[in-house]
Amino acid sequence: MDLHQIVFGVYPYLCLVTFALGSWIRFDHEQYTWKSDSSQLLSKNGMRLASNFFHIGVIAIFFGHFVGLLTPHGVFRALGVSDMAHQGIAIFAGAIFGTLALIGGVILWMRRMFNKRVRAASRWMDINILGWIMLTLVMGLSTLPFSIGHAEHGDATVMLRLAEWVQSVVTLQPNPELLRNVDTVYKMHMFLGMSVFLFFPFTRLVHIWSAPVGYLFRAYQIVRAKRPA
Amino acid sequence: MSHFLDRLTYFTHPREPFSGDHGVMTIEDRKWEDAYRNRWRHDKVVRSTHGVNCTGGCSWKIFVKNGLVSFEMQQTDYPRTRDDLPNHEPRGCQRGASFSWYLYSPHRIKHPMIRGRLLDLYRAERKTGKDPVEAWAAIQADPAKRLKYTSVRGLGGFVRTNWDEITEIVAAANVHTINKWGPDRIYGFSPIPAMSMISYAAGSRYLSLIGAACGSFYDWYCDLPAASPQTWGEQTDVPEAADWYNSTYLIITGANLPMTRTPDAHFAIETRYKGTKIVSMAPDYAEYVKFADLWMPVKQGTDSAAFLAMGHVALREFYIDKQTPYFQEYARKYTDLPMQVVLREHEGGYVTDRNLRASDLGGMNETNNPEWKTIVWDEMSNAFVVPNGSVGFRWGEEGKWNLLEKQSSQADMRAELTCQGKDGVEIVSVAFPHFTEDEPDLLSRNVPARRVKLADGGEVLVASVFDLQIAQYGIDRGLGGGNVASSYDQADVAYTPAWAEKVTGVKRADLIRTGREFADNAAKTKGKSMIIMGAAINHWYHNDLSYRSIMNLLHMCGCVGQSGGGWAHYVGQEKLRPQAGWAPIAFGLDWHRPPRHMNSTSYWYFHTDQWRYEAVKADDLLSPAGKNRNKGYSLADYNVAATRMGWLPSAPHFNRNPLELAAEAEKAGASDEAGAAKYIAEQLKSGALDVSFADPDNPVNWPRNLIVWRANLIGTSAKGHEYFLKHLLGAQNGVLHEGGDGNNCKEVKWHEKGPTAKLDLMVDINFRLNSTGAYSDIILPTATWYEKHDLNTTDMHPFIHPLSEAVSPGWESKSDWQIFKSIAKSFSKLAAKHLGTRKDLVALPMQHDSPFEMAQPLGQVKDWKRGDCEPIPGKTMPLIKLVERDFASTYNKFIGLGPLMVKLGNNIKGIDWNTEQEYKELASLNRTVTEPGVSQGMPSLEEDIAVCDSVMRMAPETNGEVAHKSWTALSKKTGIDHHHLYAGRHEDKITFRDIQAQPRKIITAPTWSGIESEHVSYTAGYTNIHEHIPFRTLTGRAHFYQDHEWFLDFGEGFCTFRPPVDMKAKEKVPASVMKKPHLTLSWITPHSKWGIHSTYQDNLRMLNLFRGGPYVWISEDDAKSVGIADNDWVEAINANGATMARAVVSQRVPRGMAMMYHAQEKNVNVPGSPSTGKRGGILNSVTRVIVKPTNMVGGYVQLAYGFNYYGTVGCQRDEVVVLHKVEDQNIDWLERPLTPEREAQLNPPGIGSK
Repeated sequence: MDLHQIVFGVYPYLCLVTFALGSWIRFDHEQYTWKSDSSQLLSKNGMRLASNFFHIGVIAIFFGHFVGLLTPHGVFRALGVSDMAHQGIAIFAGAIFGTLALIGGVILWMRRMFNKRVRAASRWMDINILGWIMLTLVMGLSTLPFSIGHAEHGDATVMLRLAEWVQSVVTLQPNPELLRNVDTVYKMHMFLGMSVFLFFPFTRLVHIWSAPVGYLFRAYQIVRAKRPA
Repeated sequence: MSHFLDRLTYFTHPREPFSGDHGVMTIEDRKWEDAYRNRWRHDKVVRSTHGVNCTGGCSWKIFVKNGLVSFEMQQTDYPRTRDDLPNHEPRGCQRGASFSWYLYSPHRIKHPMIRGRLLDLYRAERKTGKDPVEAWAAIQADPAKRLKYTSVRGLGGFVRTNWDEITEIVAAANVHTINKWGPDRIYGFSPIPAMSMISYAAGSRYLSLIGAACGSFYDWYCDLPAASPQTWGEQTDVPEAADWYNSTYLIITGANLPMTRTPDAHFAIETRYKGTKIVSMAPDYAEYVKFADLWMPVKQGTDSAAFLAMGHVALREFYIDKQTPYFQEYARKYTDLPMQVVLREHEGGYVTDRNLRASDLGGMNETNNPEWKTIVWDEMSNAFVVPNGSVGFRWGEEGKWNLLEKQSSQADMRAELTCQGKDGVEIVSVAFPHFTEDEPDLLSRNVPARRVKLADGGEVLVASVFDLQIAQYGIDRGLGGGNVASSYDQADVAYTPAWAEKVTGVKRADLIRTGREFADNAAKTKGKSMIIMGAAINHWYHNDLSYRSIMNLLHMCGCVGQSGGGWAHYVGQEKLRPQAGWAPIAFGLDWHRPPRHMNSTSYWYFHTDQWRYEAVKADDLLSPAGKNRNKGYSLADYNVAATRMGWLPSAPHFNRNPLELAAEAEKAGASDEAGAAKYIAEQLKSGALDVSFADPDNPVNWPRNLIVWRANLIGTSAKGHEYFLKHLLGAQNGVLHEGGDGNNCKEVKWHEKGPTAKLDLMVDINFRLNSTGAYSDIILPTATWYEKHDLNTTDMHPFIHPLSEAVSPGWESKSDWQIFKSIAKSFSKLAAKHLGTRKDLVALPMQHDSPFEMAQPLGQVKDWKRGDCEPIPGKTMPLIKLVERDFASTYNKFIGLGPLMVKLGNNIKGIDWNTEQEYKELASLNRTVTEPGVSQGMPSLEEDIAVCDSVMRMAPETNGEVAHKSWTALSKKTGIDHHHLYAGRHEDKITFRDIQAQPRKIITAPTWSGIESEHVSYTAGYTNIHEHIPFRTLTGRAHFYQDHEWFLDFGEGFCTFRPPVDMKAKEKVPASVMKKPHLTLSWITPHSKWGIHSTYQDNLRMLNLFRGGPYVWISEDDAKSVGIADNDWVEAINANGATMARAVVSQRVPRGMAMMYHAQEKNVNVPGSPSTGKRGGILNSVTRVIVKPTNMVGGYVQLAYGFNYYGTVGCQRDEVVVLHKVEDQNIDWLERPLTPEREAQLNPPGIGSK
């Protein structure tokens, strides 16, 4: 087993297991740490723009990846989405939301590094995870020229191979060989991205699990009854 | 089981919508709520309180969880008041609620600590084989070694050591000092026993047993209203807060009730619901102003002018224009208004002199003390008579010391107030001293007087105090002459409302209306007009005049001694209710009498060398109407004269070791106390011996050891903070000028170079590292208020309650009682070898409430040094007492209640009783000492609770039987049966366990002038009026007039307005500051909302609530004029030093004044001062204390010394500062390592040690 096989055959599972189990354990044992750790109280400067840009960008990218990579090829076909259209959407949306996230993220990162109050309240992991995400983001955006190059040649195979690999991982039939010949920049991006899952339970990212979506749909008044004995 | 797995059942949760889907009932995990529930869950609840001198005396529930205090909450189980009165609870405030923070805070002192350099020196000496005392002596003998640790005081460098070693060092220092310099070179400072009585007693007992001097605090804090002893012969007695509710007209001045009497303020608010009017007087829009119906914004320092004007109105309308029967009767019976005053010829007219006495008239059949019996004109017999109640009846005879309307012959009488219009009365011109700028210094007014033949054949004119007082208030009563007004609008006549408007800035209409309403209300309600006052007006140099102007108004209106009326002076927590039971333990009176007591103001004035900088000239304060035989004296000279005449105490007494003096006297043939006294008198007369204040800078007269506990002497109450640092401690200091003004003293020796670092050792005992600890050499960790057993009482309510050990003392700390016990143990060990048993010679000033208060008759000053008389101990100089001290038994004495309680009994305020029964009870209640030694078999004082119970068993306030005995003794003196006052509680005995269960109301005792009753609230002077017990003054009445020579010299026979004193400290501000835009402002230091003294000021919770560091309030307009914005850094500076703070710019403050809240000290967020180059100071860095000669008077009834009763007061409010902005980039936090250069540069650049 070579390094490639370890990174794309084994490492994904390490990340996923840590992500799932780690989240579970933290949720059960460290409820007081289950929070977004917002620093908005310490400094509001630029927060409105930066935080919104970053979050909108990142959420869009997340769902883009989720749908784009996990939807079986046949489904797209059945829906009439051609591979080239798929690729076009991916490039277009990725560029827009990636840039949005990048702008927001850079401001957030500057703030975290150079705002005295925020810096003083930052833990090691707060700085690391933001840096890591930014690195992943930059790498992701760096794949754009390659993808555009592929698209110009009408070649969607790399994109399809990436999706196929992701599906191979989640269906527990890992096939790292699918990625053997893709450009290094994709591999770098994927490695960084997988690592975000690895770090996830140890960071403030856990707040993603608890995004208060239900709040939008709740009744005005909730009465929590005592649990029956 | 698992938060996560629980979530998986989400869809099976029943969800029942209601209200048309607007609500939903769910069943889901609620375990998270336990987090909140656990926050308030606890293992036990213990009752305690805070020993913080806030006067709250609030009972708190302390909640303990896992052996730690987790939080506190107000107790609400006080005994109820009566039906028509609000209750005393809930008590407590935001400050008390945050105290538990301190227990586990970074400020907490956890271990015994010592200055590292001192410990190195000590250990090095010990290594050479010296014993502890020799080691200490060796360090002190070498100036270089001494400088090594004294020069870094205040600069950190503490190391931990252990209890054994540290008590050994303290003991060694004490032993060495006693041996080499004398026990009176050791000083203890701790304030306000009432806040934690046993802790106070711990230190004072140890110090008293070894012969050290305990310093007063009430006068030093300038909380002592000197006017109270002057007027009533009473230190201070005030109504409980509930009595405000009984008032129907309230004036509040200088006491910020909601801010500083937080748990009691409700009484003042609630009484408004009954229709009571509240008038507030304050220069700023203080918090209490909000609750008032009228605000009179009086210019700071002019309060007496306002009250004199109101008095003018009351006298005019209720005594001259019409006579109010209630007022007339009150004035005749309870005030000195009918007393006769001799008029002395002065420049063609007259001035007032002393009160007429029986002795002047040939004795009037009085054989006992005729010089001490004052005279009135009796309207019934139309003759001068001797009324009951003057001090002459208090001593040497029984049964006539009362205020019944009787002559000494016991015939009825009716004292005349005015002789106007009577037969044989002449109208004469009397000149009254006056001190208002640009107005004459003597104002002549016409007064009706009688001519009287004296026993010596002479003839004098006499007038009643009343007639003189009417004239002095400038009231035109148809006698002609000038300086009197018939209209309130005559602004050129002193004390009219129009005149006062000029001085105070208060509209005359408001003064007229308030004066009229106040008197009218009192007339209708028989005295239910009350004036609540406090430190804000009491901290001025002429505070006694401000207060007398208030007392005058109250007495004119018959308010004092009436429930709902009178004065209500609140400063610190003065009321040590079980005082009589406490004093013997606190001052070791069960083993030795008398103890050494010292008035701290004079002590610090001399020993911190503030006298060397004295810019105020006493001559400028004199009145031309006086005899002024001390013209040319400096303020310090007056104090030296006062100590040698036996008026004020002194520590040290003399320029020799009192142990050696006693031995010398014996060698010279003195076999007893009288012989020793004679020897001292001779030595003084020959000049071989002198009082120490005559040469305070001579090393033989330096204080050597200082122990501070329960106090923050250096960080807050050191008025003249920078002088303390410079001269007493030899530390980095910010004094910005050279001494030199003190050079012209006549009685004090001048040394060209002012000494620095007088103290060999300073010890701080505290639970919290504050500025005092930072400047000490040794810091001992004490238990907090939740970690010890103790007692607490206050002026504000009549209950006694405990401090309790909720958790055991943290880390290595111990209760103060246990700390001093261990020091006593170490001391005894070392004393056995080095001291043995020695006779100690104690010089005692003439004490108030003892026959010695009649030492110096007729108010005439006789100074033996001037040749007026011979030095006679107890008469013209201090009493000389010999006390035998077996120093090695100090520990044994400390832990056992000594034999004098049986042999001599107990006493308070001049009455004595037997304590044999209580002594026996204590032996069984507390068990007896089992350790071999002098105290074996005596009632044990080993444990804190035993001490608490001993105090309560021996005090009339907490033991009905003792109340019975003490009232019996007083009844004998007055000839009136007072037993009904406590009758219902004769069998009550309050113990420590009782008060832990619930606060208990105390029992009525003769210690106090109020009563505990189901019908009236506690109020001051109640028994004087209703039981006819005389005030403890010359006449036995409340005094409008002071006839002592020094009072007349300084023009203060009658209350008069005197403006603030010019301290001249502005003149020496560096030119670099004066070139910049700056403000010159009065320096006002009131109490804060987010702190009580220095405690809570540095509490993180309180810091979060306001600014987080030192701040100064200034007015918006002033700030704008020099470009200061809110929160800018500013420096306040004058000759005394500089302090840094942030500006709070507010409309609350009037122009011309800066307010820096009391006790903002150095330990939190204080940068360096750009002017001094030193750490930016505390509120008292820009103040210097000045002493007032009239406060030094002694040996003269109410004007006689008593510990914390009378003496110089530490006023600091007349000061002004220059305030200027410091740019943020110029803020220097001085966070640099200590270099040899910096260490050597103790003074600001360019300043020497003159």
